[in-house]
Amino acid sequence: MRLSKAIPLGLLFSGTMSAAHSVEQLEADPAGRLVIAGYGDVKYEQVDSLDTSAFSARFVPIFLFSLNDKMHVEAETEIALNEEGEAEVELEYADLHYFLNNATTVTAGKFLLPFGQFGANWHPSWINRSPWTPGIYGSHGGTQAMTPLLPVLSDVGLAIQHTVQLSSNQKLFFDFYVTNGARQELEEHDEEETVGETEEEEEHSESVPEVEFEAFSSDNNKDKAFGGRIAYAFLPSLEMGASWYQASYDVDEKLDVVAKGIDLNLIGNYYILRGEYIQTETDGEEEGSIETFKRNGWFLQGVVQLGHIYPAFGGTELLIERAETNKIAEATRWVYGVNYWLDARSVVKVAYEKTDLREGEDDHRVAVQLSYGF
Amino acid sequence: MYIHKAYLSSLIIALISVFSSLIANAESSTESSISGAKVINDNCARCHNARPVHEFSLREWSVIMPHMREKAHLTAEETTAVMSFYSSLQQQDKTLRSSSKGSKSGKQLMSQYGCIGCHSFEGEGGSIGPSLDSVVAAKGIEFVTKKLENPQFNNPASPMPRMKLSDVDVAALVDYLSNRD
Repeated sequence: MRLSKAIPLGLLFSGTMSAAHSVEQLEADPAGRLVIAGYGDVKYEQVDSLDTSAFSARFVPIFLFSLNDKMHVEAETEIALNEEGEAEVELEYADLHYFLNNATTVTAGKFLLPFGQFGANWHPSWINRSPWTPGIYGSHGGTQAMTPLLPVLSDVGLAIQHTVQLSSNQKLFFDFYVTNGARQELEEHDEEETVGETEEEEEHSESVPEVEFEAFSSDNNKDKAFGGRIAYAFLPSLEMGASWYQASYDVDEKLDVVAKGIDLNLIGNYYILRGEYIQTETDGEEEGSIETFKRNGWFLQGVVQLGHIYPAFGGTELLIERAETNKIAEATRWVYGVNYWLDARSVVKVAYEKTDLREGEDDHRVAVQLSYGF
Repeated sequence: MYIHKAYLSSLIIALISVFSSLIANAESSTESSISGAKVINDNCARCHNARPVHEFSLREWSVIMPHMREKAHLTAEETTAVMSFYSSLQQQDKTLRSSSKGSKSGKQLMSQYGCIGCHSFEGEGGSIGPSLDSVVAAKGIEFVTKKLENPQFNNPASPMPRMKLSDVDVAALVDYLSNRD
């Protein structure tokens, strides 16, 4: 989808929005119909391994449409400039939620898979405390040195979620989904949606087969991917979950990709600690025999909200993050940063990243990013 | 790996059965009265800073909250409680504009604006904001007065809603909070 098509679409939507919200109007018709929310960012990044520095910008509107009390439609698009200067528009998700009852929701369409918490909830730049994805995940247009285990997973299918209230502060979350699933990499591919070998890695004896996770409204086989997440929350301080994903990705349905993960989210009065561990098993076929390639990796991100300890610091935060990938394409990464919140939804981040690769050129980079939610 | 249709159907039926039993348990254990302020306190900061209620109109919140319901695994009752809380804040603004008389006590105002949804007070309440038990003693009358008048004056990222309190209301709240030990 080109920008020329997206702009009239956005104008059409915005034209249907109510401009005034007087109390009298709300009393007469308290339920809204359409809201455009979302986020965006502007980033300056200097990358040593590429010997480049560049500004980049993204605008990610989310169209929320309330059909009635039971049904809610939402769509997120990402509009960004590519390296050739052209505007690219990607559909991040477009789905319908049907609220089955008090605690159960059915989702149909293209949606973010509930695998861990980064992909489903933390990746928007005004939410992610770092200007980069955590290394074990790939990102749109990303040039990170660490080879990710998975992209932020989004696919077409059906999902169901259920919440169990154990007590006033404890909940269990259940998510299950069936989607088209991953497929074998074609010759031309979008780098950030692919996890597996690169040209450089092909020279080594052990490399992960290429698997494409990009969502399609078609499939290369009859197999469907399925998975889910089960999580426990002790509100408002703790959420921890376990996720899994599996799919056959080749035409003959002989080769599987399986991902398992655990995630942690700890929220204190003046700190946030977030992390995920992911393990992947990817089948590859060579000379008639199937071999399974295993990788694992993790990240842990800590944020200290200085302003919560010393009010004079206002919206200042300190960031530290550690990530590792193991077994194949081994790498380690440290990120150090300082964030300053201009208001509750706008933040300026300054960060330094150092990635050490077991094989290949190490990388250092610096970024300054302004992120805003709206 | 090929998932047979029969296997898939069985899986879905099993899930629905499990959900049905869980739904019954959940509905019986859900509290009859849920505080919208507490729902905000418990859930928003799991992912992001809580957004001040004055950022969106009530009509906009009514479209945003179903989105957040799915994102944060909120129940319908919790979503309704948040909307009721937002609605009550806007209604109070309207009441304040239409009538300047009938000032309330600090205790009444604390209850009316749902302060303990986000702040702890006398052993109850949320944790998204600091405790109010000794806030005046710790921060001073001037600070608390300014905070009530403009919650973002000292921290632009503060999610505290901007309530249209009259000078009399601010004084009543400060006085009430000053006399706590």
